[in-house]
Amino acid sequence: MSHRQTTEDLIASLAAMPAPPRLRMSRIALQIVGLVAIGIFALLFTTGLRPDLAEALTTPITLAKTAIPLSLAAIALPAAMLTARPDAHPPLWLLALPIAVAVALYLATMAGTPVSMIPQRIIGVSIATCLTSITALSLTPIIVGTALMRRGATTRPTLTGALIGLASGAGAAAGYALHCLDDNPLFFVTWYGIGIAIATAVGAILGRHWLRW
Amino acid sequence: MAFMDTYAPPRHCPLPAIGGILLRSLADEREVALEPQGEWERLLTAANAGDGAAFARFLMQITPVIRGIIRARAVTMGPDEHEDILQEVLLAVHLKRGTWQGDRPVRPWLYAVARHKIVDAFRRRGSAVHVPIETFAETLPEDRSDEPMAARDAAAMLSQIDERSAQIVRAIAIEGENAETAGERVGISAGAARVTMHRAMKRLSSLAERMTK
Repeated sequence: MSHRQTTEDLIASLAAMPAPPRLRMSRIALQIVGLVAIGIFALLFTTGLRPDLAEALTTPITLAKTAIPLSLAAIALPAAMLTARPDAHPPLWLLALPIAVAVALYLATMAGTPVSMIPQRIIGVSIATCLTSITALSLTPIIVGTALMRRGATTRPTLTGALIGLASGAGAAAGYALHCLDDNPLFFVTWYGIGIAIATAVGAILGRHWLRW
Repeated sequence: MAFMDTYAPPRHCPLPAIGGILLRSLADEREVALEPQGEWERLLTAANAGDGAAFARFLMQITPVIRGIIRARAVTMGPDEHEDILQEVLLAVHLKRGTWQGDRPVRPWLYAVARHKIVDAFRRRGSAVHVPIETFAETLPEDRSDEPMAARDAAAMLSQIDERSAQIVRAIAIEGENAETAGERVGISAGAARVTMHRAMKRLSSLAERMTK
Protein backbone atom coordinates (compact mmCIF):
# COMPACT_ATOMS: atom_id res chain seq x y z
CA MET A 1 0.00 0.00 0.00
CA SER A 2 2.74 2.42 0.92
CA HIS A 3 4.46 2.20 -2.46
CA ARG A 4 1.33 2.82 -4.44
CA GLN A 5 1.88 4.59 -7.66
CA THR A 6 -0.46 7.51 -7.90
CA THR A 7 -2.58 7.87 -10.99
CA GLU A 8 -0.84 11.17 -11.78
CA ASP A 9 2.55 9.40 -11.77
CA LEU A 10 1.18 6.68 -14.01
CA ILE A 11 -0.18 9.22 -16.51
CA ALA A 12 3.16 11.02 -16.58
CA SER A 13 5.08 7.81 -17.22
CA LEU A 14 2.63 6.57 -19.86
CA ALA A 15 2.83 9.91 -21.66
CA ALA A 16 6.61 9.62 -21.73
CA MET A 17 6.46 6.25 -23.48
CA PRO A 18 6.58 6.03 -27.26
CA ALA A 19 3.23 5.57 -28.97
CA PRO A 20 2.62 1.96 -29.96
CA PRO A 21 2.42 1.40 -33.71
CA ARG A 22 -0.90 1.68 -35.47
CA LEU A 23 -2.63 -1.65 -35.85
CA ARG A 24 -2.81 -2.76 -39.46
CA MET A 25 -5.35 -5.52 -39.71
CA SER A 26 -5.03 -5.93 -43.45
CA ARG A 27 -1.35 -6.74 -43.03
CA ILE A 28 -2.16 -9.50 -40.54
CA ALA A 29 -4.90 -10.80 -42.85
CA LEU A 30 -2.46 -10.84 -45.73
CA GLN A 31 0.03 -12.91 -43.75
CA ILE A 32 -2.64 -15.47 -42.88
CA VAL A 33 -3.72 -15.68 -46.53
CA GLY A 34 -0.08 -16.00 -47.56
CA LEU A 35 0.57 -18.86 -45.14
CA VAL A 36 -2.54 -20.75 -46.27
CA ALA A 37 -1.55 -20.20 -49.92
CA ILE A 38 2.02 -21.42 -49.33
CA GLY A 39 0.70 -24.60 -47.73
CA ILE A 40 -1.76 -25.23 -50.55
CA PHE A 41 0.91 -24.64 -53.19
CA ALA A 42 3.24 -27.02 -51.39
CA LEU A 43 0.51 -29.66 -51.25
CA LEU A 44 -0.52 -29.25 -54.87
CA PHE A 45 3.10 -29.15 -56.01
CA THR A 46 3.87 -32.47 -54.34
CA THR A 47 0.59 -34.29 -54.90
CA GLY A 48 -0.76 -32.53 -57.96
CA LEU A 49 -4.05 -30.96 -58.95
CA ARG A 50 -6.82 -33.32 -59.83
CA PRO A 51 -6.28 -34.21 -63.49
CA ASP A 52 -9.77 -33.17 -64.57
CA LEU A 53 -9.82 -29.89 -62.65
CA ALA A 54 -10.89 -27.57 -65.48
CA GLU A 55 -13.74 -29.85 -66.42
CA ALA A 56 -14.73 -30.55 -62.82
CA LEU A 57 -15.08 -26.88 -61.97
CA THR A 58 -17.82 -26.53 -64.56
CA THR A 59 -20.01 -28.86 -62.50
CA PRO A 60 -21.84 -26.71 -59.94
CA ILE A 61 -21.57 -29.37 -57.20
CA THR A 62 -17.83 -29.73 -57.68
CA LEU A 63 -17.39 -26.00 -57.86
CA ALA A 64 -19.27 -25.75 -54.59
CA LYS A 65 -16.59 -27.92 -53.00
CA THR A 66 -14.16 -25.04 -53.43
CA ALA A 67 -16.61 -22.13 -53.43
CA ILE A 68 -18.33 -22.88 -50.12
CA PRO A 69 -15.17 -23.08 -48.00
CA LEU A 70 -13.69 -20.16 -49.92
CA SER A 71 -16.64 -17.91 -49.11
CA LEU A 72 -16.55 -19.12 -45.51
CA ALA A 73 -12.90 -18.07 -45.31
CA ALA A 74 -13.61 -14.80 -47.09
CA ILE A 75 -16.16 -13.91 -44.42
CA ALA A 76 -14.35 -15.29 -41.38
CA LEU A 77 -11.01 -13.60 -42.03
CA PRO A 78 -12.20 -9.96 -42.16
CA ALA A 79 -14.54 -10.72 -39.28
CA ALA A 80 -11.59 -11.99 -37.23
CA MET A 81 -9.60 -8.87 -38.11
CA LEU A 82 -12.50 -6.65 -37.09
CA THR A 83 -12.67 -8.21 -33.64
CA ALA A 84 -9.18 -6.85 -33.01
CA ARG A 85 -10.85 -3.48 -32.45
CA PRO A 86 -12.72 -3.28 -29.19
CA ASP A 87 -15.40 -1.02 -30.65
CA ALA A 88 -16.10 -2.98 -33.85
CA HIS A 89 -18.98 -5.35 -34.47
CA PRO A 90 -18.20 -7.91 -37.16
CA PRO A 91 -21.18 -9.11 -39.25
CA LEU A 92 -21.02 -12.67 -37.93
CA TRP A 93 -24.45 -13.58 -39.30
CA LEU A 94 -22.89 -13.64 -42.76
CA LEU A 95 -21.21 -16.91 -41.81
CA ALA A 96 -24.63 -18.53 -41.74
CA LEU A 97 -25.01 -18.10 -45.52
CA PRO A 98 -22.30 -20.50 -46.77
CA ILE A 99 -23.14 -22.87 -43.93
CA ALA A 100 -26.79 -22.85 -45.00
CA VAL A 101 -25.78 -23.58 -48.60
CA ALA A 102 -23.64 -26.50 -47.43
CA VAL A 103 -26.40 -27.91 -45.26
CA ALA A 104 -28.96 -27.56 -48.08
CA LEU A 105 -26.61 -29.31 -50.48
CA TYR A 106 -26.00 -32.06 -47.96
CA LEU A 107 -29.67 -32.69 -47.27
CA ALA A 108 -30.60 -32.55 -50.96
CA THR A 109 -27.94 -35.13 -51.79
CA MET A 110 -29.00 -37.29 -48.91
CA ALA A 111 -32.61 -37.17 -50.08
CA GLY A 112 -31.53 -38.32 -53.55
CA THR A 113 -29.37 -41.20 -52.32
CA PRO A 114 -30.75 -44.65 -51.45
CA VAL A 115 -30.60 -45.06 -47.68
CA SER A 116 -28.37 -48.12 -47.90
CA MET A 117 -25.80 -46.16 -49.90
CA ILE A 118 -25.56 -43.16 -47.56
CA PRO A 119 -22.90 -44.52 -45.15
CA GLN A 120 -20.73 -45.61 -48.05
CA ARG A 121 -21.03 -42.21 -49.72
CA ILE A 122 -20.15 -40.41 -46.49
CA ILE A 123 -17.11 -42.59 -45.87
CA GLY A 124 -15.80 -42.19 -49.42
CA VAL A 125 -12.22 -43.23 -50.08
CA SER A 126 -9.89 -40.57 -48.70
CA ILE A 127 -10.96 -39.56 -45.20
CA ALA A 128 -7.49 -39.78 -43.68
CA THR A 129 -5.78 -37.72 -46.39
CA CYS A 130 -8.57 -35.19 -46.37
CA LEU A 131 -8.63 -34.63 -42.60
CA THR A 132 -4.84 -34.67 -42.24
CA SER A 133 -4.33 -32.25 -45.11
CA ILE A 134 -6.91 -29.70 -43.96
CA THR A 135 -5.72 -29.80 -40.36
CA ALA A 136 -2.03 -29.70 -41.25
CA LEU A 137 -2.45 -26.90 -43.79
CA SER A 138 -4.35 -24.75 -41.35
CA LEU A 139 -2.07 -25.19 -38.35
CA THR A 140 0.67 -22.70 -39.26
CA PRO A 141 -1.70 -19.89 -40.27
CA ILE A 142 -3.69 -20.42 -37.08
CA ILE A 143 -0.65 -20.24 -34.83
CA VAL A 144 0.98 -17.31 -36.61
CA GLY A 145 -2.33 -15.51 -37.13
CA THR A 146 -3.36 -15.81 -33.50
CA ALA A 147 0.08 -14.70 -32.34
CA LEU A 148 -0.10 -11.65 -34.63
CA MET A 149 -3.52 -10.77 -33.29
CA ARG A 150 -1.97 -10.18 -29.88
CA ARG A 151 -1.24 -6.70 -31.22
CA GLY A 152 -4.95 -6.14 -31.43
CA ALA A 153 -7.37 -5.61 -28.59
CA THR A 154 -10.10 -8.18 -28.94
CA THR A 155 -12.64 -8.15 -26.18
CA ARG A 156 -13.62 -11.69 -27.21
CA PRO A 157 -10.38 -13.74 -27.35
CA THR A 158 -12.09 -17.10 -27.93
CA LEU A 159 -14.21 -15.73 -30.77
CA THR A 160 -11.23 -14.07 -32.45
CA GLY A 161 -9.21 -17.29 -32.22
CA ALA A 162 -12.13 -19.34 -33.53
CA LEU A 163 -12.58 -17.00 -36.50
CA ILE A 164 -8.89 -17.23 -37.36
CA GLY A 165 -9.15 -21.03 -37.11
CA LEU A 166 -12.28 -21.02 -39.26
CA ALA A 167 -10.67 -18.80 -41.89
CA SER A 168 -7.50 -20.92 -41.97
CA GLY A 169 -9.35 -24.24 -42.00
CA ALA A 170 -11.84 -23.13 -44.66
CA GLY A 171 -9.04 -21.64 -46.78
CA ALA A 172 -7.09 -24.90 -46.48
CA ALA A 173 -10.20 -26.91 -47.43
CA ALA A 174 -10.83 -24.72 -50.48
CA GLY A 175 -7.28 -25.37 -51.65
CA TYR A 176 -7.36 -29.05 -50.82
CA ALA A 177 -10.56 -29.36 -52.89
CA LEU A 178 -8.48 -28.71 -56.01
CA HIS A 179 -6.67 -31.96 -55.32
CA CYS A 180 -9.45 -34.10 -53.83
CA LEU A 181 -11.33 -36.37 -56.23
CA ASP A 182 -14.35 -37.25 -54.12
CA ASP A 183 -17.11 -34.97 -55.35
CA ASN A 184 -20.01 -36.31 -53.35
CA PRO A 185 -21.38 -33.64 -51.00
CA LEU A 186 -22.07 -36.37 -48.44
CA PHE A 187 -18.33 -36.91 -48.34
CA PHE A 188 -16.94 -33.42 -48.62
CA VAL A 189 -19.45 -31.57 -46.48
CA THR A 190 -18.91 -34.13 -43.72
CA TRP A 191 -15.14 -34.32 -43.73
CA TYR A 192 -14.27 -30.80 -44.84
CA GLY A 193 -16.74 -29.69 -42.21
CA ILE A 194 -15.02 -31.75 -39.52
CA GLY A 195 -11.58 -30.56 -40.67
CA ILE A 196 -12.72 -26.94 -40.54
CA ALA A 197 -14.34 -27.54 -37.16
CA ILE A 198 -11.06 -28.93 -35.79
CA ALA A 199 -9.21 -25.86 -37.07
CA THR A 200 -11.85 -23.61 -35.53
CA ALA A 201 -11.53 -25.36 -32.18
CA VAL A 202 -7.73 -25.12 -32.25
CA GLY A 203 -8.02 -21.41 -33.00
CA ALA A 204 -10.56 -20.92 -30.23
CA ILE A 205 -8.29 -22.60 -27.67
CA LEU A 206 -5.23 -20.63 -28.77
CA GLY A 207 -7.19 -17.40 -28.81
CA ARG A 208 -8.53 -18.03 -25.34
CA HIS A 209 -5.00 -18.34 -24.00
CA TRP A 210 -3.05 -15.93 -26.15
CA LEU A 211 -5.41 -13.07 -26.80
CA ARG A 212 -6.15 -12.02 -23.25
CA TRP A 213 -5.02 -8.52 -22.33
CA MET B 1 -3.14 -9.10 -75.95
CA ALA B 2 -2.67 -12.58 -74.67
CA PHE B 3 -3.92 -12.07 -71.20
CA MET B 4 -7.22 -10.74 -72.49
CA ASP B 5 -7.83 -14.10 -74.10
CA THR B 6 -6.98 -16.17 -71.10
CA TYR B 7 -8.68 -13.94 -68.58
CA ALA B 8 -12.25 -14.85 -67.90
CA PRO B 9 -14.26 -13.26 -65.12
CA PRO B 10 -14.96 -15.73 -62.33
CA ARG B 11 -18.17 -17.47 -63.22
CA HIS B 12 -19.30 -17.98 -59.69
CA CYS B 13 -18.19 -15.13 -57.55
CA PRO B 14 -19.64 -16.29 -54.26
CA LEU B 15 -21.91 -13.79 -52.61
CA PRO B 16 -20.66 -10.65 -54.38
CA ALA B 17 -22.55 -8.14 -52.25
CA ILE B 18 -20.91 -9.41 -49.12
CA GLY B 19 -17.50 -8.76 -50.59
CA GLY B 20 -18.23 -5.05 -50.43
CA ILE B 21 -19.17 -5.14 -46.76
CA LEU B 22 -16.10 -7.11 -45.87
CA LEU B 23 -13.69 -5.08 -47.95
CA ARG B 24 -14.90 -1.94 -46.30
CA SER B 25 -14.25 -3.53 -42.93
CA LEU B 26 -10.64 -4.09 -43.97
CA ALA B 27 -10.04 -0.56 -45.20
CA ASP B 28 -8.04 0.47 -42.18
CA GLU B 29 -5.08 2.14 -43.78
CA ARG B 30 -6.14 5.73 -43.52
CA GLU B 31 -3.29 7.51 -41.82
CA VAL B 32 -4.93 10.67 -40.59
CA ALA B 33 -8.26 11.45 -39.10
CA LEU B 34 -10.64 12.61 -41.75
CA GLU B 35 -12.52 14.88 -39.44
CA PRO B 36 -11.75 14.72 -35.75
CA GLN B 37 -15.04 14.96 -33.97
CA GLY B 38 -13.92 16.64 -30.81
CA GLU B 39 -11.30 17.36 -28.19
CA TRP B 40 -10.62 13.72 -27.27
CA GLU B 41 -10.27 12.70 -30.91
CA ARG B 42 -7.89 15.59 -31.55
CA LEU B 43 -5.78 14.75 -28.50
CA LEU B 44 -5.57 11.03 -29.18
CA THR B 45 -4.73 11.63 -32.83
CA ALA B 46 -1.88 13.90 -31.79
CA ALA B 47 -0.84 11.43 -29.09
CA ASN B 48 -0.69 8.54 -31.54
CA ALA B 49 1.45 10.67 -33.81
CA GLY B 50 3.97 10.89 -30.97
CA ASP B 51 2.85 13.93 -28.96
CA GLY B 52 3.39 12.87 -25.34
CA ALA B 53 1.93 16.06 -23.87
CA ALA B 54 -1.29 15.52 -25.82
CA PHE B 55 -1.46 11.96 -24.50
CA ALA B 56 -0.98 13.17 -20.93
CA ARG B 57 -3.80 15.66 -21.42
CA PHE B 58 -5.98 12.99 -23.00
CA LEU B 59 -5.41 10.63 -20.06
CA MET B 60 -6.10 13.41 -17.56
CA GLN B 61 -9.36 14.26 -19.29
CA ILE B 62 -10.62 10.69 -19.45
CA THR B 63 -9.55 9.84 -15.88
CA PRO B 64 -12.60 11.34 -14.10
CA VAL B 65 -14.93 9.79 -16.64
CA ILE B 66 -13.40 6.32 -16.30
CA ARG B 67 -13.32 6.71 -12.53
CA GLY B 68 -17.04 7.44 -12.62
CA ILE B 69 -17.75 4.35 -14.72
CA ILE B 70 -15.70 2.18 -12.36
CA ARG B 71 -17.44 3.58 -9.31
CA ALA B 72 -20.84 2.90 -10.84
CA ARG B 73 -19.94 -0.64 -11.87
CA ALA B 74 -17.78 -1.76 -8.98
CA VAL B 75 -19.92 -0.59 -6.10
CA THR B 76 -18.83 -3.51 -3.94
CA MET B 77 -15.18 -2.50 -4.17
CA GLY B 78 -13.35 0.10 -2.17
CA PRO B 79 -11.72 3.31 -3.42
CA ASP B 80 -8.27 1.67 -3.42
CA GLU B 81 -9.49 -1.01 -5.77
CA HIS B 82 -11.26 1.56 -7.91
CA GLU B 83 -7.95 3.35 -8.32
CA ASP B 84 -6.18 0.06 -9.15
CA ILE B 85 -8.73 -0.70 -11.86
CA LEU B 86 -8.51 2.86 -13.14
CA GLN B 87 -4.76 2.46 -13.51
CA GLU B 88 -5.23 -0.85 -15.31
CA VAL B 89 -7.62 0.86 -17.72
CA LEU B 90 -5.21 3.77 -18.34
CA LEU B 91 -2.38 1.32 -18.98
CA ALA B 92 -4.58 -0.61 -21.42
CA VAL B 93 -5.54 2.64 -23.16
CA HIS B 94 -1.83 3.29 -23.70
CA LEU B 95 -0.94 -0.25 -24.82
CA LYS B 96 -3.91 -0.60 -27.16
CA ARG B 97 -4.25 2.94 -28.49
CA GLY B 98 -2.97 1.72 -31.85
CA THR B 99 -6.29 -0.10 -32.30
CA TRP B 100 -8.29 3.12 -32.32
CA GLN B 101 -9.16 4.21 -35.85
CA GLY B 102 -8.47 7.90 -36.29
CA ASP B 103 -11.67 8.55 -38.19
CA ARG B 104 -13.95 7.01 -35.59
CA PRO B 105 -15.21 8.63 -32.39
CA VAL B 106 -13.00 7.87 -29.38
CA ARG B 107 -15.78 7.25 -26.89
CA PRO B 108 -17.10 3.86 -28.09
CA TRP B 109 -13.52 2.62 -28.33
CA LEU B 110 -12.60 3.96 -24.93
CA TYR B 111 -15.69 2.56 -23.23
CA ALA B 112 -15.13 -0.84 -24.81
CA VAL B 113 -11.55 -0.89 -23.47
CA ALA B 114 -12.71 0.26 -20.04
CA ARG B 115 -15.53 -2.26 -19.89
CA HIS B 116 -13.16 -5.06 -20.88
CA LYS B 117 -10.66 -4.16 -18.16
CA ILE B 118 -13.33 -3.70 -15.50
CA VAL B 119 -14.87 -7.10 -16.26
CA ASP B 120 -11.37 -8.56 -16.25
CA ALA B 121 -10.64 -6.95 -12.89
CA PHE B 122 -13.81 -8.46 -11.45
CA ARG B 123 -12.93 -11.88 -12.78
CA ARG B 124 -9.40 -11.82 -11.42
CA ARG B 125 -10.48 -10.58 -8.03
CA GLY B 126 -13.12 -13.29 -7.97
CA SER B 127 -15.58 -13.02 -5.15
CA ALA B 128 -13.03 -11.39 -2.85
CA VAL B 129 -14.65 -8.00 -2.89
CA HIS B 130 -13.55 -5.33 -0.52
CA VAL B 131 -16.20 -3.63 1.54
CA PRO B 132 -14.88 -0.61 3.42
CA ILE B 133 -14.97 -1.20 7.16
CA GLU B 134 -16.24 2.32 7.82
CA THR B 135 -19.62 1.22 6.49
CA PHE B 136 -20.00 -1.02 9.53
CA ALA B 137 -18.38 1.25 12.09
CA GLU B 138 -21.71 1.84 13.79
CA THR B 139 -22.76 -1.77 14.03
CA LEU B 140 -19.45 -3.38 14.95
CA PRO B 141 -18.67 -4.08 18.60
CA GLU B 142 -15.71 -2.39 20.30
CA ASP B 143 -12.41 -3.60 18.98
CA ARG B 144 -11.64 -6.26 21.56
CA SER B 145 -8.83 -7.93 19.75
CA ASP B 146 -8.19 -9.31 16.31
CA GLU B 147 -5.90 -11.91 17.76
CA PRO B 148 -7.96 -15.10 17.97
CA MET B 149 -8.86 -14.78 14.31
CA ALA B 150 -5.39 -13.76 13.20
CA ALA B 151 -3.75 -16.53 15.20
CA ARG B 152 -6.09 -19.12 13.74
CA ASP B 153 -5.44 -17.89 10.19
CA ALA B 154 -1.70 -17.83 10.77
CA ALA B 155 -1.72 -21.33 12.25
CA ALA B 156 -3.78 -22.65 9.34
CA MET B 157 -1.40 -21.17 6.84
CA LEU B 158 1.78 -22.15 8.64
CA SER B 159 0.55 -25.75 8.70
CA GLN B 160 0.74 -25.68 4.91
CA ILE B 161 4.48 -25.08 4.69
CA ASP B 162 7.31 -27.25 5.95
CA GLU B 163 8.00 -27.47 9.67
CA ARG B 164 11.38 -25.72 9.73
CA SER B 165 10.15 -22.73 7.71
CA ALA B 166 7.06 -22.54 9.87
CA GLN B 167 9.24 -22.45 13.01
CA ILE B 168 11.34 -19.65 11.57
CA VAL B 169 8.29 -17.61 10.59
CA ARG B 170 6.73 -18.18 14.00
CA ALA B 171 9.92 -17.08 15.76
CA ILE B 172 10.66 -14.02 13.63
CA ALA B 173 7.30 -12.75 12.46
CA ILE B 174 5.05 -13.69 15.36
CA GLU B 175 7.30 -13.84 18.43
CA GLY B 176 9.54 -11.06 17.23
CA GLU B 177 12.90 -12.79 17.66
CA ASN B 178 15.86 -11.82 15.52
CA ALA B 179 17.27 -13.99 12.77
CA GLU B 180 20.25 -15.16 14.89
CA THR B 181 18.15 -16.64 17.73
CA ALA B 182 15.58 -18.04 15.35
CA GLY B 183 18.29 -19.71 13.29
CA GLU B 184 20.00 -21.07 16.37
CA ARG B 185 16.75 -22.64 17.50
CA VAL B 186 16.46 -24.78 14.37
CA GLY B 187 20.22 -25.13 13.94
CA ILE B 188 20.93 -22.91 10.94
CA SER B 189 22.90 -19.71 10.49
CA ALA B 190 21.30 -16.26 10.71
CA GLY B 191 21.75 -15.76 6.96
CA ALA B 192 20.07 -19.06 6.20
CA ALA B 193 17.27 -18.14 8.59
CA ARG B 194 16.70 -14.88 6.73
CA VAL B 195 16.60 -16.68 3.39
CA THR B 196 14.21 -19.29 4.79
CA MET B 197 12.04 -16.53 6.22
CA HIS B 198 11.98 -14.69 2.90
CA ARG B 199 11.05 -17.79 0.92
CA ALA B 200 8.42 -18.82 3.44
CA MET B 201 6.80 -15.38 3.32
CA LYS B 202 6.66 -15.57 -0.45
CA ARG B 203 4.98 -18.97 -0.30
CA LEU B 204 2.61 -17.75 2.41
CA SER B 205 1.56 -14.72 0.44
CA SER B 206 0.78 -16.83 -2.60
CA LEU B 207 -1.15 -19.18 -0.32
CA ALA B 208 -3.03 -16.24 1.12
CA GLU B 209 -3.87 -15.06 -2.38
CA ARG B 210 -5.27 -18.47 -3.26
CA MET B 211 -7.25 -18.66 -0.02
CA THR B 212 -8.89 -15.30 -0.52
CA LYS B 213 -9.83 -16.01 -4.11
